[in-house]
Formats: sequence, C-alpha cells, structure tokens
Amino acid sequence: MASLLLVLVALLNLIPPWITGEIVDAAMDKRLSRDFLLNNVSLIVIIALVVYGLRYLWRLSLYSASFQLGVLLRRRIYDHLMLQPPAFFQRYKTGDLMARATNDVNAVEMSAGEAILALVDGVLTGVVVLTVLVFAIDWRLTLVALLHWPLMAYGFWRINQRLHDAFIEAQARFSDLNDHVQENISGVRLVKAYGLEARSMEEFNGGAQAAADANLAVAMAEAKYEPLIFVTMGASFLLAVGFGAWFVVQQQLTIGDITKFTLYLGYLIWPMFAYGWLLNLLERGTVAYGRIQELLDTEPAIVDDGSLIPQGELSLRWEIESFSYPQSPKPVLKNFSGELKAGQTLGIVGPVGSGKSSFIHLLTRQQQVDSGEIYLGEHPLAYYQLQALRAQWLVVPQEAFLFSATIAENIALGFPEASHAQIEQAATLACVHDDIKSFPQGYQTLVGERGVTLSGGQKQRLAIARALLIETPLLILDDALSAVDVATEQKILTCLRQRRLGKTTIIVCHRLTAVEQADNIIVLQAGTPIETGTHQQLIAQSGWYAKMYQYQQLEQVVEEGR
Amino acid sequence: MAGSMATAAKKTVTNSLAKPVATPPVFIRLMRYTLAHWRWLIQGLLFLVLFTAADVLGPLLIKIFIDDYLIPGDWRWQPIVLLVMLYVIANGVAALFGYLQALNLNQIAQQVVMTLRQQLFAHVLRLPVKRFDYTPLGSLISRITNDTEAVKDLFVGVLGVYVQNIIRVLGIFIAMGLLNWRLMLVCGLFLPMVILVMAVYRSLSTATFRKARELLADINAELNETIQGMPVVQLFNQQQHYARKFHHTTEEHFSLRMKTMQLDALLLRPMVDFLYFMTLAALLYYFGISFAGSNLDGSTASNSVSGGMLSGIEVGVLYAFVNYLGRFTEPLIEMTQRLSLFQQAIVSAGRVFQWLDEPVEQNEQKQSVKISAGEIQFSDVSFSYDGKNEVLRNIDISLPAGSFVGIVGHTGSGKSTLASLLMRFYPLTQGVIYIDGQRLDSIPIPELRKHLALVQQDSFIFSGTVAENITIGRPLGLDQIAQAAKKVGLHDYIASLPDAYQTLLAERGSNLSLGQRQLLSLARAIAGEPKILILDEATANVDSETEAQVQQALLNLKGEITLVTIAHRLSTVTQADQIIVLHQGEIKQQGTHNELLSYEGLYQHMYQLQITRVD
Repeated sequence: MASLLLVLVALLNLIPPWITGEIVDAAMDKRLSRDFLLNNVSLIVIIALVVYGLRYLWRLSLYSASFQLGVLLRRRIYDHLMLQPPAFFQRYKTGDLMARATNDVNAVEMSAGEAILALVDGVLTGVVVLTVLVFAIDWRLTLVALLHWPLMAYGFWRINQRLHDAFIEAQARFSDLNDHVQENISGVRLVKAYGLEARSMEEFNGGAQAAADANLAVAMAEAKYEPLIFVTMGASFLLAVGFGAWFVVQQQLTIGDITKFTLYLGYLIWPMFAYGWLLNLLERGTVAYGRIQELLDTEPAIVDDGSLIPQGELSLRWEIESFSYPQSPKPVLKNFSGELKAGQTLGIVGPVGSGKSSFIHLLTRQQQVDSGEIYLGEHPLAYYQLQALRAQWLVVPQEAFLFSATIAENIALGFPEASHAQIEQAATLACVHDDIKSFPQGYQTLVGERGVTLSGGQKQRLAIARALLIETPLLILDDALSAVDVATEQKILTCLRQRRLGKTTIIVCHRLTAVEQADNIIVLQAGTPIETGTHQQLIAQSGWYAKMYQYQQLEQVVEEGR
Repeated sequence: MAGSMATAAKKTVTNSLAKPVATPPVFIRLMRYTLAHWRWLIQGLLFLVLFTAADVLGPLLIKIFIDDYLIPGDWRWQPIVLLVMLYVIANGVAALFGYLQALNLNQIAQQVVMTLRQQLFAHVLRLPVKRFDYTPLGSLISRITNDTEAVKDLFVGVLGVYVQNIIRVLGIFIAMGLLNWRLMLVCGLFLPMVILVMAVYRSLSTATFRKARELLADINAELNETIQGMPVVQLFNQQQHYARKFHHTTEEHFSLRMKTMQLDALLLRPMVDFLYFMTLAALLYYFGISFAGSNLDGSTASNSVSGGMLSGIEVGVLYAFVNYLGRFTEPLIEMTQRLSLFQQAIVSAGRVFQWLDEPVEQNEQKQSVKISAGEIQFSDVSFSYDGKNEVLRNIDISLPAGSFVGIVGHTGSGKSTLASLLMRFYPLTQGVIYIDGQRLDSIPIPELRKHLALVQQDSFIFSGTVAENITIGRPLGLDQIAQAAKKVGLHDYIASLPDAYQTLLAERGSNLSLGQRQLLSLARAIAGEPKILILDEATANVDSETEAQVQQALLNLKGEITLVTIAHRLSTVTQADQIIVLHQGEIKQQGTHNELLSYEGLYQHMYQLQITRVD
C-alpha cells in the first residue's frame, strides 16, 4: 500500500520539471499564451496538492506499520520474560536483556520503516528518473552527464568504509573515557587520599583528547560527502549545459529540455545516498532481529503441563537423590529426604553453600530435581499447574526487591485491591509501621532512586508485610530477617505464629534464634542433612547446631558492646 | 492500587524533566566557550562565506552562458572558455571551502566539548567526599560522559547546521537579488511561509515530543525493573497485572509517536516540498507574464521580439532561479528537524553546569604549617554523616609520634570513620584533631597527603609498571622504590619477574595475587616516607600468610612512623602499644592486648568470639 503510494509520488514528481521545460520552450518560441501558462501553472499546483496528500498518506501507513512492529516486539519480549525461570535471568544479564528490548527493537523498527523508504523511494526514483532522461530527453546527453557517476559511487563507498571504521574507533574511545571516569569516580577516596588528582586529570585529559580526535576523524570522513556530491553535480551540470548547448545549436534539443534535464539531475542524488544507507540499515536490522529471535526462542526450562489444582492444606514430602545446577557437575543436594506435615513449622539451617536456598528453589519449582521427587499431598509437583502451585506458597527472600512505587503499593504487590487499613495492619505486624510513619509522606512515600532510600532491615520488614497481606498455605522465609535485630525478629516471628496458626511455614536462616520455636529443624551441610530435631534436642546433641548457637550467643554479647 | 504505580512514577519523571532550565543563560554560557577559539571561528566563517559565494556563482555563470551566448548564438570561443574555466574554478573552490569550513566548525565543537569535559572532571575530583556519598555513581558518570556528548551534538548537529544554512540561504537570496529583484521577492514569499510552518510545527510538536521521550524512558524503566524483580512478580503471581501495565504504556507510547509522526508528515518534508512546488508555480507564472508580457497584451505587436527580451525576464535567469530554489529547501527542512536536538542538549548542558557550579573543597591553609613528627590528638571529636545520627561521640585520644595504635570494634562502631576524619575527607561536627599540636584543618592538603598515608581494604592497582604503581607520579628514585618493596617483603618477588620493577601490571592488577596487591599498596604508602600510616582494614581480605607478612612489615616500621591500624581481626593489633576499643561511636576500652585480655569485657569477648570457629 505504502509502496504503491511511493510509486505514484515518484511519477508525479517528474511532472513539474517537465512543465518548467515546456514553459521555457514556449517562451523561446514566442508561443507562450496566457491560457497555456495558466493551465500549466495550475497543473503544478494540483500536482503539488496531490503529492502532499500522497506523501502524508504513505508516511502514515509505512511508519505506523513499523511502529506497530516495534510495539509488538516489545510486548512479545516482555511477555516472554514473564515466563522465564530464575535460571534464565542468571544466564542473561539485565543490561543485555535491556539492550535487546530497546536498542535491538529500535533497529528493527528503523529497518522496517526507513529501510523500506530508502529502498522503494530511493531506488525507484533513480530508475524512473533515468528512464525519463534516457527516453524522453536524450540518451546521449544522459550518457555524457552521468559518465563519471560510477566514480562518485565508488567515492561514496570509500567514505562509507572510512566512516564505519572511524565510527567504531570513536565508540571505543568513548567507552575508554567512560571506563576511566567509572574507575576514578568509584575510587575517589583513594584518589584523594594519595593526592592523585593531578595524575587522574592528566589521564582523563588524554582520554578526552583521544575521544575528540576520534570524533573529528568521523567528522572529517563525513565532511567529504558534500564536496564529492558538489564536484560530481557541478561537472554534470557543466557537461549537460555544454553538450546540451551543442545539441540546441544542432536543433536536436531545446533550451527547455536542458532546464528539465538539470532539474532531473538533482533528483538523482538521493538515490545514490539511499542505496548505501539502505544496506547499512538492513544489516543492522537483521542482526538485531536475530538477537531478538534468539531471546524469544529460549524454551522455558520448566515445562508447565500439569493439570491438578492443589486443594486445602497439603503436606510436603521430598526424596531428593541428587540435584546439581547445569553449569557445575557437583551436586548441591544429595540423599535428602524428609516430610513437612501441614500446619507445622520447619527450620532449615547450615553454613553458607550447604544447599538451603537450592532446596527452596526445588520446592517452589524454580528448578527441577535431577533424580528423586517432591510430593505435594499425594502427587509430584509436576502434576500441578504452575500457576495454581504458585498460589500455594509465598517466599520472602533475603534481598527484598522493591519497585519504584509508593510504600503502600509495594506492600500491596500481591493483593493490589487491599484496603489502606489492611496494608497498615500488615505493616504493623511486620514492625515497620513506625518507620513508615516517620517518612515525609508516610505510606505514599516513593521508594528507590526518586524517593527514600531504605535500610536493609526496613526492606526486609516491608517484604514481610507484603507476605502477611496474602494468606497462602505455605510461607517460606528464606533468610528474610537477617538484617533485622534479634528483638524485632522475635517480635515479628511471634506475630507470624499467631497469625498463621495451623498453617505451614519454612524458615531458612543463618541466625539460629529464628528457628528456636520450630517443630523440627534440619541442619544441612554440603547438601546432606547432618542433624535433625527440635531446638532442645539439637542443643543436647552438642553438634554443629549447639556450637553455632553458642558462638552466636557470644556474638550477640559483642554486638551489644558488653 | 498497583495500577497507579506507573502514574506515580511518571509524575516524578515529568517533574524532574519539567524543572525550569533557564535556557538563555545556559546557552550563553555554552557560547562563551566558543569565544576561546575565536580565530578558528573567524576562519570558519570566512571559509563559509567563500564557499557560499562560490556555490551561488555556478548557476549565475550558466545563466550568463544561456542568455548572452547560447540564445543570441554568439559562438566566440574566448569568452566561453573563460566562462567554463570560471565555472570549474568556482566549483572547485566551493568544494574545497565547503569541506574546510565543515572541518573548522567541527574542530571548534570538539574542542569545546573536550574543554567542558576536562573542566567537569577536574571539578568533580575537587568536590568534597561527602558529595559522593549522596549521589548515585552512575548518574555522575553519565554527567561527565553522556551529557557532554549531547552538548557535542548541539554544536555539531544544531549550531553548525544553523550557521551554515542561514548563511547559505542568505547567499542564495543575494544572488537572486542581483539577477532580478522582482523574482527574488516572489521566491522570498517562500521564506516567511516556511518560517511560519516551522514555528507552528515547533509549538505543536514540542510537548508531544517530550511526552513521547518520557514514555520511552518509562518503558525502559519498567522493563528494567521487571527484569530485576521478576522472581518477586512470579512469586506473587502478578505477571498478568504487570503485563497489562506494560501493554498499556507501550500503547500510549505508540499513539504519541503516531501523533508526532503525523505532525512530521503534515508539516515537515511534505509541507516544505509542497511550498517549493507552489513557489515554482508562482515563479513560472511571473516569468511567463513578464517574459511574454508584450506578446500577451498586444497580441501581435511588431516590437515585441526585441522588447520582450529587454523588459521581461531572460530564460537564463529562470534557469538560475529554478536551480537556486531547489538548493534552499533542503537546508530549511534540516533546520526544522534539528530543533528537538537543541532542547535535549540544553537540558544536558544545564545539568553539566549545575555540577560545575558546586563549591569545591576549600584550601585556605597557611603554607607554613608543617608536619614534623606525627603526633596525633583527638580532642572531644564528634561526627555525624547526616546531621542526625552521631557516628562518633566525644572521642579523646592521644597518640604519641612513632607509636603503634590499634583501633578495633564491631561492625558499625565508627572505626573507619575515624580514618576518614584523619584524612580530612569530612569536616568535624564537633571537637578538634591536632597533628603535632596543629589543628588538622590548618594543614595544607598537599602537606597532609604527603605525610599521611592510607592503605585500604581494596587495593587499587593501575595499569602500568610495578615501579609506576609504587611511585604513582611522585619523584622517587629506584632505590627508594626498592627500599619500600623490601620493607613489605615484596622485593624478592618483584626481582624474580621478567622485567623486575618495569614489569607491566594488568588492569586492576589481575596478574598479582590478592595478598601481593595489598603488599604493593603498602609499599606505595610507605615509599613516600610518611610520618603517619593508617591501615583501614588492610588485611581483612588476605590469607593468614600475607597477614603475617604485613605484620612483619609493620613491626619493621615501628618507631619510625605513627601507625594507626584499624581492624576487625584482633590478631592484627596484638603487638600494638595501645588498643582502643570502640563501640557505637564511643571509646569502650583502652590498653595493651594483655591488659585488655586480663579482665572480662568487650575486648575479651571479641577475642573469644574470634578464636571460636564453627565449621
């Protein structure tokens, strides 16, 4: 549709120069009548109007198509990302994903819009104009005037190459400069401590100079386009008028023909440009599209083909023979079996790297066990719908992620319809209400870069409040109170116990005070349970747990400055 | 409730962008930078005028050929050859000066941006450390690199284009006027119309453009946040909700872009081209009327043949006009399109100047104050980062010159702040620090940096030779370098390297072990023979073997230098003459290792804690 309009525009555009030539000829032959003049001039006006309308229309249809493509791609990427398990986000860095969703989408959009424009408009105009020149005016004159154009094409190509290299160089220098700034600004204390300011500035100045030089090289390459076009066109005009004059004397052409001819010559510059630009855009577009496609083709690691929906309170049972991450052959969990009855509280403790978090990943189906099975009620986890399973549990992680929104909206993340009273109640239970009240706008305070900066403990308590707002059969605290002091921790845990009476809870932690009240505690070491029992039983065993407990008691003493 | 997240976030974006940036002052300030290059500026303008003159001469020459030689059939070869020669020369001159002026303008732009960058970087380095505590590093880095890059676009893409195109259009009009002032006026009608269209376009598009840009920023922010917060979104089963929100934002962005595109299509190129055709039509009509004026009026007047040529417009003139007309539409379109770039660049430049206007550290010390021995005294020192919570409270310490002092404490006890205060990174909230009996703030910074050395937890290795990493620009002899390396026990290792002290170290010292890097930092610190050496958790990350090595090096220095060792690990300070135990910003205990161990208290508990190992 857009292409058809473009063709029409290209053809209509040819008429005004033609009319100009005709008028010149008529004037020369003294047969210029008022009617002839009026007719032709009004024809130009009509064509101008039609071309204006057509141009508006093709832009509308061409660009709206390419914009729509952009929207579509962005959404598909976004929706696709929503389906990916955590492993995916470990594989692709945020910056990389962002680059694909923004720059690459833009590049595809560009090549869909501008490249088609360059292709149809540029190449088409070129062909049409050449045809007119050769057949409607004079093929000999065309030949003479365009004889040296292949040279210009070669010149364009050379400048393009040079520009490409210079551009890459400039990008590299710019990123050098960036690195230098990054290094020095992050190490500003050291720079100051050693009085290194002068040295650092000297280095920076060198980098800035290099960047300026590289940019100038780009500008130098770019600045060559114009003189090249200039000389080529100048020569063409000279040749056209010179030989044209000869043909005029020979009575084979008229002065009007020459006027037309030179006007048409001007139309040929754009196609020459468009061709190089087109290749460039197409190349970038294909590469970008490839990168987007790669992203969209990633199969989700967890296949969601279960059909069951969990009903009521169910117990958990696991028989894990071995589980390891794809990157490393060493199993993170092995020979780990156990059970958690509905309504009970389980504590999982152990040194860093003992497999605590991996176990939680398996329970919540973020990862799949290699050999062994995890049962919810009677059936393996895979038999359930992922969506329905997710409604069963809630994990509060150690690193609470807060969105750049108000505090109230962050608490209501899982239950957007919550009333203000409900939100406040959850915050009070999580011992964060007083903190929130002390912020300038209370619950309406924005979080993040544009709002308040929260401490680690405040973030964790907000995450707990978030969890308290929705009641799921299973709550998992994955070291979720590590940044909160012991007294507050105990207060929150007491609240939780009262509120979640008869519900299942798993507490993974480093500080043992958090699991003192648990019905059962498992000590994991190198992926295998080494001790099990209640707090009292484990203390009596005087194993890892007992030693750790003692150590942490002492640590508490030091922390309090006694 | 969460549905309004996007709106809330958007509101702040709008606010931050809508912050009134006073356009004229920023612009004038930017322009002042170009004055430093006035020679180039004048040269560039001269080239530009020459280029324009040669450029407009071409069609003029062809006009002369057509009217004076081709039509009358005058084929004397000398004047024609002269015309051809002139044409070729004009063309060459135009090409040459066109190239030169572009280079010249670019050179000025690059120089200005370079100057601005260097100024900004130098300025930022001189800012008080406190400033860095409250600014996200990313945004600061972006000021120095990206915003200055946007300013470059202003010079190259906007100002350059404007100056060039305005002069070009002027030149064309002058040439037109010389040929035929009446026809020039006809073409002149084109200009106000284009300016009107530009003004309308600008007033209609500015707001939409800005909104579209903001929405794009929102889309990116949303994407970024969702990618980072995906586990949370999935855990709370809110994928639908977020996807809907995102779809909504993209939809809005799409409709805004369609709006800007419609404006572009209505008013930009198609409109200017339309006006061009209209002007062409007017030109042809006027030409036709006046050329054949007598023909048309008197139908068949006898004197019309010669009279028409004299009173009317010559064909060559029309040729030249049609040619000129084609040459100034492009510059006008270009100028319209560059307007949005201009606004972005001004915003960027405003942010750059904001940083440049921040006050730097004051250096008003008497040059005569010198550090001679290295005695340190804290007298009732209190300090707070934020003015609310005191990190240090009423600290009184007296450290004789040449003594070895250990400062220990749990996380958050304020021990590292003590080091920062000694380095004068922050002004004191209360109290005075004396060095050799002189107030710390009376000592000139260079004197202070010369006699006070700091070794931190993270060693900082530059890409350069080992020797360069020790001297870091100070005028030190090879023997001094080697001496320092010997003292820290690194000399033998360095000597075993292929190029010894001239061995190149990779960026961040990746070809050294962690311990070696820390020893190298220590060598760097003592190479300048400071009077006071501060170790701030310098051995926190090293293995016990390296720690023993560092211990040995410190013992070698005992007596020569005042040693302040801040440590979490007590083993580092057991040899100290004096250990100060800090807790929540206050001195809790003070004494030697043995004294402190002899009675139950915080130090003893810390000691017990560290010897208890739980695996």
